[in-house]
Amino acid sequence: MAESTTNPMGEITASYTRLLLQVALSDDPLTTEQALIEAAALGQEMVNRELPLEEVSEVHHAALVALAKAHPELPLAIVADRVTAPLMEAYMAYSLAFREQVEQRTHAILTARLDQLRRLEAIGTLAAGVAHEFNNILGSIIGFSELLTDEIPADSSGARYLHHILQSSFRARDLTAGLLEFARTMPETPEPMDVVPAVRETIELLRATLPAHIRLELEGNPGPAWVMAEHNQIQQIIMNLCINAADAIQAREGLIRVGIDALTSTPECATPMIRLTVTDNGEGIPSELQARIFDPFFTTKPPGKGTGLGLSVIHGLVTGLGGHIGLESTPGVGTRFSIDLPALGGAGTPDTAQAPSP
Amino acid sequence: MTTILIVDDDDTFRTMLQEMLSREGFHILTAGSGGQALKLLNTQTPDLIITDILMPDGDGIELITTLKQKNSPIPIIAMSGGRRSISLEFNLESAELMGVKATLAKPFSRETLRRVIEDALR
Repeated sequence: MAESTTNPMGEITASYTRLLLQVALSDDPLTTEQALIEAAALGQEMVNRELPLEEVSEVHHAALVALAKAHPELPLAIVADRVTAPLMEAYMAYSLAFREQVEQRTHAILTARLDQLRRLEAIGTLAAGVAHEFNNILGSIIGFSELLTDEIPADSSGARYLHHILQSSFRARDLTAGLLEFARTMPETPEPMDVVPAVRETIELLRATLPAHIRLELEGNPGPAWVMAEHNQIQQIIMNLCINAADAIQAREGLIRVGIDALTSTPECATPMIRLTVTDNGEGIPSELQARIFDPFFTTKPPGKGTGLGLSVIHGLVTGLGGHIGLESTPGVGTRFSIDLPALGGAGTPDTAQAPSP
Repeated sequence: MTTILIVDDDDTFRTMLQEMLSREGFHILTAGSGGQALKLLNTQTPDLIITDILMPDGDGIELITTLKQKNSPIPIIAMSGGRRSISLEFNLESAELMGVKATLAKPFSRETLRRVIEDALR
């Protein structure tokens, strides 16, 4: 791949034509053997250069045409017999190399995902420890501040300062509560549940709190979608994503759609999944931020509005349930989060598997 | 006079709680570990125990377990800075399962403390 030139096909075709000529013209078994080894190397090279399998026969065809032009005197019967071997050799080498490449890539993807999981787990453990210590410290700060309010005249500036100390301490407490929630990646007692009622209920709850210019809809009329989870986990996932979506919409006329689909298989997973989607027509997420969006403490909200823990909490919840979370976003058009959770056998909606529409 | 035993390894927090509850008119005993608390309970009988549950030297869960095994009638309030933590053994929920009267998630306000103590002593 590194030495890839502007015309890799030209080079490969030229080499292959050369070796095909050798095979066609030579009666020496050693020369033929050498040419076959080269044919195999070319097949492998084509995989390295990401060329599709069909190109192998195209290269062969081009070489045959060149051979026929250069040596019209060669008897067809002999040539046809001799030139099949290099083609077969190139095909086999291509298939083998291709399979190895797929295995290596799958392994790389799995390793990357596992690394991310380990990193989040390590951060979770750290976060729990820090939050615990922090709460002890805040306990002293809040307690002594409250005691001090007894000592200071209520209408003094000192009392006002104390009020601010207490306010800030309680804000810090909310932050540590978020940290502890993030650290709690293990689901407690997931049980078989139909996500549809949980999602409907969450949508009803959210409608009451969202500003009037934002519409929130459930897409279509989904049938039962069974997964292993806790009711409040599903609620937390949908609620967090919808609140983020509402924040992304800001002043414009907004629409948030929540979808529930049964997928027979996804590129990441061959088993049936239930896909929850939250799609908004908000401002979108710039591509340079998309990779960092699940990191703890990452937030685009102004100070005091968000702790930056929401999405990492969701990431933890979804991973804990054996699912994946996906993100598609186009700045200026909107964002869609998709949560895939393993479907419970036989209980999903039949025949509704479909590729998600944008 | 109502006597409360405060058990916490954090000196500052223990001092704060002692000060706060003295002002509320309680008589206060203090211990810096579960072991100290058990020793103290050999000679004293408070009306209420407020204990942290995650302490390095003889933790609060052990204190609660020992008292429950002895069928101690003294009501217990368990406190912790971690409402739920990864290590399931050391959290307020496990204390609840062990039959403490109430739990307090640190940090808490004086109002909350008053209310929880009032309930526990009822």
